[in-house]
Amino acid sequence: MLKFIENMIRSAINTTVDKAITRAIRDQYTENLVEMIPATNKVGLTNLLEIAMRANQGSPVSRPLGSPIHLSPWEKILFNPVHLFRFPTQENVGIRTSITIGHRAKKPMTITIPIMIAAMSFGGALSKSTKIALAKAASAVGTATNTGEAGLMKEERDAAQLLIGQYNRGGWMNTPDKYKQLDAIEIQLGQGAQGSTYQRTTSKNIGEDFREVFQLKKGEDALIHSRLPGVNTKDDFINLVRELRDETGVPIGLKIAATHHLEKELQIAVESEVDFVTIDGAEGGTHGGSPTLQDDVGLPTLYAISRATEFFARKGVIRDINLLATGGLVTPGQMLKAIALGADGVYIGTAAIMALVSEQMVKSMPFEPPTSLVIYSAKMTDQLDIDQAVINLVRYLNACVLEMEQVAVSLGKTSLTDITKSDLCTIDPFLAKATGIQLGSVASEHQDRFFEETKPLFHTFEHQDEQPVNMN
Amino acid sequence: MDNYQDLKHTLSYLHSEINRIETMAGTLSTIEREHYNKLTSFDHREIMDIAVEEQNAARQLGTMKQMCLAMAEKIEGIKNAIDRGEIGESAKRAEIH
Repeated sequence: MLKFIENMIRSAINTTVDKAITRAIRDQYTENLVEMIPATNKVGLTNLLEIAMRANQGSPVSRPLGSPIHLSPWEKILFNPVHLFRFPTQENVGIRTSITIGHRAKKPMTITIPIMIAAMSFGGALSKSTKIALAKAASAVGTATNTGEAGLMKEERDAAQLLIGQYNRGGWMNTPDKYKQLDAIEIQLGQGAQGSTYQRTTSKNIGEDFREVFQLKKGEDALIHSRLPGVNTKDDFINLVRELRDETGVPIGLKIAATHHLEKELQIAVESEVDFVTIDGAEGGTHGGSPTLQDDVGLPTLYAISRATEFFARKGVIRDINLLATGGLVTPGQMLKAIALGADGVYIGTAAIMALVSEQMVKSMPFEPPTSLVIYSAKMTDQLDIDQAVINLVRYLNACVLEMEQVAVSLGKTSLTDITKSDLCTIDPFLAKATGIQLGSVASEHQDRFFEETKPLFHTFEHQDEQPVNMN
Repeated sequence: MDNYQDLKHTLSYLHSEINRIETMAGTLSTIEREHYNKLTSFDHREIMDIAVEEQNAARQLGTMKQMCLAMAEKIEGIKNAIDRGEIGESAKRAEIH
């Protein structure tokens, strides 16, 4: 009987597939369902769905977790292990992983590992339980977490050993009673996934706990302005940094979205004597933002780090201003490469959230995405087990740092912060030229000769600015 | 003047104690790291989590060592400033004003 049913099913499938294939071959291409394959290849599956979403909603699509485009070519950079010329670090030597942020501040902040939890706000992005889990995990490994653009949530403050708060464009953290409770203050003027545009959370997505932390009235939207209220000139910003420093004594930093105007922005940061600068590359994540802001605005993280480090070195402030990098750093290798290029520490957001929900994603799958467990306005936030989330994130961070330590051993280094550009090579000549990393395909002593011999290839780019401009 | 001598003695005490804490943190960090290596040889989930905690503790003790070094350096700076008379003078000036 079973054999008979099996034969029936096989026969039905065979007939159906045969008919489908025949129809696909015989039908005119313009009337053929197969046209979806080249059409989807042309437009891309994500773009196809986002076209349909825009057509349905008539307003910008809110895509979660940032751009899917890989803009920073991290895979073209490799670390250089040592064997005899310099010896690897012995296995019984502990690798130093701590960093201090704000050497000039009255109260510098020392963290145990160079990875911090990125700015992801309560309410605007994440649920209260997720924020508490992030804070607890960060404290367990001796690192800091970031409030994001929000008010000061008591539960997060209590759970976090070290809390970096964003002095933000919504104004929700900008009063002394709040920012004096922080361990470092990050003045937020932009982010990789959103540039410096405004953002609005409508009142229908704002619950009572959200209103309480943000001190909003019932029915009031939460609005992040494009400009920081009260900062309309360079001097306003410099004065703000001075006031916050004098009032609190904690490290004061500036966070911006990476941009081709980077050096001009950093010049003002240097003049204001901030203690740290956070640069969020174009690959930066968000709880939800317009695909155009995510895919088409900003500068890739890799180039932003390299340019910022070079600028700080040129200005002689490399020891005074810490560089914190963020935006699309998802593997320990990428994080360590960011450090080697000059970042003192990195923030992770998307990877931290994925690690946090990892074992619990079975609760939402296959009918809801895993983010349903962590996003403030999602359906399943009450199902997140905080303790399990903390365990998973602690394990993840430990694994990441151990992998970074393994690389340090192979490079003959005893501290992650000792790893520099000289420990890297690249397989891309343009990347070598742009970042100053040596080209792996040519011996160290022949680098100059190679670039001299291939100068015509780079000529176009080097003299692009000198070409006469047609004014007609 | 006696007050500054007292302050110098207190700073010397703090300096030597911080140096002791730094040494202890370094030793404990090494022990915790060895524990991590031993515990990871067991194929048991809960022991693995304890091992991860040990590894985190090792790193945090390493951080404490660095913090102690930084604090000892600051204390040394204050002691030197007292020896150079900079702190006494600035305090006197403040009293006059």
